[in-house]
Amino acid sequence: MGGLGVGIGWRSELDLTIERMAGVDFLEVVAENIKPAHLPESLRVLRARGLPVIPHGVSLGIGGAEEPSPALLAHLAACAQALGAPLVSEHLAFVRGGGLEAGHLLPVPRTRESLRVVTENVRRAQDALPVPLALENVAAIFGWPDDELTEAEFLAELVERTGVGLLIDVANLYTNQVNLGLPAVAALDVLPLERLAYVHVAGGYEHHGIWHDTHTTAAPQAVLDLLTELCARTAPPGVLLEWDDDYPSDDVLASELSRIRAAMALAGDVR
Amino acid sequence: MTPELPGAGSATGDRVPGGDSVAGARAATEGSVPEARATTDDVGRAALAEAQGRVVAALVAGAELPEGFDPERMRAQAAGLVAKRRGIVARIRPDAAAAAGSDLAAEFAAYARARATPPPDYRTDAGDFAAWLRLRGRMPDEPPPKRRWWSRLPGLS
Repeated sequence: MGGLGVGIGWRSELDLTIERMAGVDFLEVVAENIKPAHLPESLRVLRARGLPVIPHGVSLGIGGAEEPSPALLAHLAACAQALGAPLVSEHLAFVRGGGLEAGHLLPVPRTRESLRVVTENVRRAQDALPVPLALENVAAIFGWPDDELTEAEFLAELVERTGVGLLIDVANLYTNQVNLGLPAVAALDVLPLERLAYVHVAGGYEHHGIWHDTHTTAAPQAVLDLLTELCARTAPPGVLLEWDDDYPSDDVLASELSRIRAAMALAGDVR
Repeated sequence: MTPELPGAGSATGDRVPGGDSVAGARAATEGSVPEARATTDDVGRAALAEAQGRVVAALVAGAELPEGFDPERMRAQAAGLVAKRRGIVARIRPDAAAAAGSDLAAEFAAYARARATPPPDYRTDAGDFAAWLRLRGRMPDEPPPKRRWWSRLPGLS
């Protein structure tokens, strides 16, 4: 999928910060926050500089019981076209059920039966998109009582059946290690890294023994160590920092990108 | 074009144009007849819809927790969803967030508990929260809409 480099999630609050920040190679934008026909001026400026921008969907719910909405897929496709994006990313999650919106990404039941449904959903999405799709592992607080597979096994099966790409969020792997006892390094051994599209890095905080993946603070060292582990196994096409609220100074964001580059470089020593 | 299927739009959702022929071709290469495959799919989707519907209802509408789930984790997840809603509502209606002040978390949690289900979108949620604060005397009434300057021009009204 070509080299993306090191990037940051574009947010309207960070538009000028990102425009003047050195060392940003690519961007991601939450697809639900833009209109393809009226892209934010900042994104057009950054696109004109040649920075790839990847539309990142959050509301498709490809792990849901219903087939993915043709309207949402059409929006993702239009975003990809307007941005000239090399791919589109979404989450292995469900976001609604029984007519109610959950308002966030929830983990799918990881059973053979739900795998069949999600596989069909992924195929539908792939058929409707003009560019490849990559799916992200999510941060979970709870698991389903009838889970048969780990998330990494579930994703590996999906990749094998559909050829979908992977967006590996190392902060989410860390979250699931803390919250669900799913070992993060073991997940890296199971995930088909040859299908890796790019990587997410983000910070969060622990509260009463539960890790909350808030994207509002610097990534803990444990998350960067996982990035090093991943880079020791494969050279990721891209690594992207997510920061969503409580925006810090430009210097803090720049130093987060430096920490990411250092963690990636460290993999050379591990290898 | 694929003709509109009776019952489409329920469990199987709307069809992507041409999607049926693609699914049919895949089913054929996998050695099963499309009809049998559709039936298995429908059963799988119905079971998943039922399971996911119960989880969402437990998390956002106070329904009973389905069997086998860790109650403490589900409480944490439900609280996380309310916190996320609160953050978005506070951004849409900073005046409501300011009116609630340091009680924002408690006020929003009470507001969320007081209604059976969350509204369908954040803008409605934000407006409803402001109205709820106002009902409880925690927020001043909406100011009357300002007269536009052109409405004060002579000869126009």
